[in-house]
Amino acid sequence: MELLSMALAAILINNVVLTQFLGICPFLGVSKSAKSAVGMGLAVIFVIFGASLLTFALYKLVLVPFGIEYMQLISFILVIAAFVQFTEMFIKKYSASLYKSLGIYLPLITTNCVVLFVAQDNITQNYNLIETIVNSISVPAGFMLVLVLFSCLRERLDSADTTSSWKGNPVALVVAALMALAFSGLAGIV
Amino acid sequence: MPSIIVAILLFVGLGAIFAIGFYLNQKTPKPEGCENLLADCEGCRLATCPHHPHHKEGEKENA
Repeated sequence: MELLSMALAAILINNVVLTQFLGICPFLGVSKSAKSAVGMGLAVIFVIFGASLLTFALYKLVLVPFGIEYMQLISFILVIAAFVQFTEMFIKKYSASLYKSLGIYLPLITTNCVVLFVAQDNITQNYNLIETIVNSISVPAGFMLVLVLFSCLRERLDSADTTSSWKGNPVALVVAALMALAFSGLAGIV
Repeated sequence: MPSIIVAILLFVGLGAIFAIGFYLNQKTPKPEGCENLLADCEGCRLATCPHHPHHKEGEKENA
């Protein structure tokens, strides 16, 4: 039950995009169409899950035993960057269809700060392995939910009658603020 | 082993893994039909990102 409430809180209440303003770059850049938003969302879930497990293992098995916790940030960045490279290479080689739908978004994820945030959050919150797994799936799931919802809204906004100075990112940011307000109304459910 | 040595070895090791991964990834050919895939990205303020539209504008100018 605690894990379920933790997952719900990460997806709906403490959504990384709407409450912490992380991952704004892909949120604005790749939310033009619902199809690309789904592709980006799935790629983010996969990378965050894999990178979080690797960084969790690195922290518990290397950094803590040797007393070099101060290396956490730089080593996590390198692990995430290397993981993305190997994932892209593996997909390129073994699954053309998967590469066609996800591959193009993988290099973008290296610069997505949500990946580093989740890896760091798992350590600072002192989560165990199960909690780390739940957190590493639910946080990017929340990112994907907001990204897909926002892309659907933006598709409608493109055909909306807005003044030229408001078209594009200005009106999208106003809509994002309204979305954040709407999501804050869910705060009492967990 | 002194912790500073472990820290240096860790940094060099992870850096080497990243460099090898980057090199191998660049050498791996893209699957058929995926050679000219472009991200449907409008661009943010991160101008160094390879998907930023201003790179495409630069390519057009050079062509």
